[in-house]
Amino acid sequence: MAIDLAHARNLMPLLDEGKPDARGWMTRRAAAGLIAAFVIITPILPGNLPIASWVGLGMIYVIVGLSVNVLIGHAGQVSLGHQAFVGVGAFMGALSTTRWGLPFLLSVVVAAASGAIAAILLGVVALRLSGLYLALITLAYGEIAEKVIFNVPAITGGGAGVLVNRPAGFESNVAIAYLCMIFVGLALFLDWRLMKSKAGRAILALRDNEIAARSVGINTTYYKLFAFVLSGALAGIAGALLAPWARSVNAATFDFKLALTFVLMTAVGGLQSRAGIFVASAFFAIFPLAFNQFTIYVLIIGPLLLLLTLIQFPGGMGQQLRPFTNWLTGGPFSMKREHAGISSGGSGGRP
Amino acid sequence: MAVLSVRDLSIRFGGLQALADVNMDVNEWEIVGLIGPNGAGKTTFFNCVMGVYTPTTGSVSYRETPITEMPTHERASLGIGRTFQNIGLVKSVSVMENMLVGQHLKARYSPLAGLFGLPSSFREEKVLKANALEILHFMGLLPYRDERVSSLPYGIQKLTEIAVVLSGDPDMLLLDEPTSGMRPEEAHQFGDLLLKLRSELNLTVLMIEHHVPLVVRVCDHVYCLNFGKLLAAGTPDEIRNHPEVVAAYLGTEE
Repeated sequence: MAIDLAHARNLMPLLDEGKPDARGWMTRRAAAGLIAAFVIITPILPGNLPIASWVGLGMIYVIVGLSVNVLIGHAGQVSLGHQAFVGVGAFMGALSTTRWGLPFLLSVVVAAASGAIAAILLGVVALRLSGLYLALITLAYGEIAEKVIFNVPAITGGGAGVLVNRPAGFESNVAIAYLCMIFVGLALFLDWRLMKSKAGRAILALRDNEIAARSVGINTTYYKLFAFVLSGALAGIAGALLAPWARSVNAATFDFKLALTFVLMTAVGGLQSRAGIFVASAFFAIFPLAFNQFTIYVLIIGPLLLLLTLIQFPGGMGQQLRPFTNWLTGGPFSMKREHAGISSGGSGGRP
Repeated sequence: MAVLSVRDLSIRFGGLQALADVNMDVNEWEIVGLIGPNGAGKTTFFNCVMGVYTPTTGSVSYRETPITEMPTHERASLGIGRTFQNIGLVKSVSVMENMLVGQHLKARYSPLAGLFGLPSSFREEKVLKANALEILHFMGLLPYRDERVSSLPYGIQKLTEIAVVLSGDPDMLLLDEPTSGMRPEEAHQFGDLLLKLRSELNLTVLMIEHHVPLVVRVCDHVYCLNFGKLLAAGTPDEIRNHPEVVAAYLGTEE
């Protein structure tokens, strides 16, 4: 079909219709800057609490949350074995620095690649199974990783685990927190660009209707695996940061409870909402650390938040933040309650 | 030269012979209707043409290229566009996003270039958006561009789906009940649209349709399926008066 590009150019201003003027953008940038500044100063807040250490783990969980979101939120696949990808990243990252003497940045690359490979194995299964059956396989996958693979003494030091040195220059908790923050920035950028480019749209399309996606020319096999690879790579990066943060890696860390926490925080944060996932993941990381004398609260609060999400706000925290995030990205500030982010989100809509 | 040519197509699901020895030719710039009672195998036929199902026997070729074994997503790149009876749009996002989904094959940048935000991807995205606006303008759908698909009336969703398919530059359309959920006047207007698509965009159309006045007005040729077999083929007037077609739809007096 011949597109009249001259005419199309006349229509282009329509894209900016309803967008704020220069002053509107200034206010929004200032607000976004304030939020960013607040996040950035958190590790150096004064006081006796080990806030920097909390923020470090919070940032690692945010990366995991974004990783889970690629599978459950965007691609509509279930993942109850996500701790395995993080674990593979953590062990590979730890081994590549301690045993092979690779520099830290290279160990992150190794961890991302191994996380991606671990995920692609599940992705191949997901090409054939879906729904409950896939959920069971991912659960078994995570369990096998924790109980068997992470316990091979030759690779992982067996039950004792591996001790990890922090990268040079990043020995302090504050430095580690900032290191993690940089990678959170990278993960947020990737998620943003994913959903604004053809890969993300292909993944959305195959979630809603695979046959329709194929008939507009989308290679659904390729893009389903693409989602798994991206998710696994992000989880691997989180693992590579977790090892130096904790100064050690241990198979027992990556149990099923951790996988549940990962799914829980992503659902409570709100599938496909970067802002919601950021807040919820950081919360789920920091809350147990801050209240570790009162484990009972931790056990109650998490499920309570999930119940609230399922019953009242299917879009999670992202739904509650939406009026504000809409405004930040150039829309109007409106408290009008709209549908949750996901209305027909395939099998993974509600974990 | 036939645009779409189907020879002796049969497909069997277990004990059910869904299609048996169906032959069809669709020629350049024709609008061809495919009618038949419920369960006659019309959508199954579309699924065979698009490669969703592999026929048990028989062959499908597109502009003399055999495509019987070709994966669905490659058929799209040959220029076949398809719409669905129950609407194949991503309902949770806006019309504009869907228009970009439809142009998947036109985005030449690699998925990784998009992921890492390389400048080439930004440039191309702009062109895709311009194309989308142009087609929405052509289809009269510009006012809906930022609406979430699930919040639109059914008839508008149907038209949006056609716009999305058009955005991929097809030269043949397979439409599955495009006027379902439309009022008679809307169906009539849809006929005008079909004729406009043919005259301005040089499209060839094969459509499953139940709306008889529309079929009679726009179709050059009509095929009638019943229980998986081709019952009759001919001009709309021939089909309308064909005794077996009338019997299949209305039953016979015994």
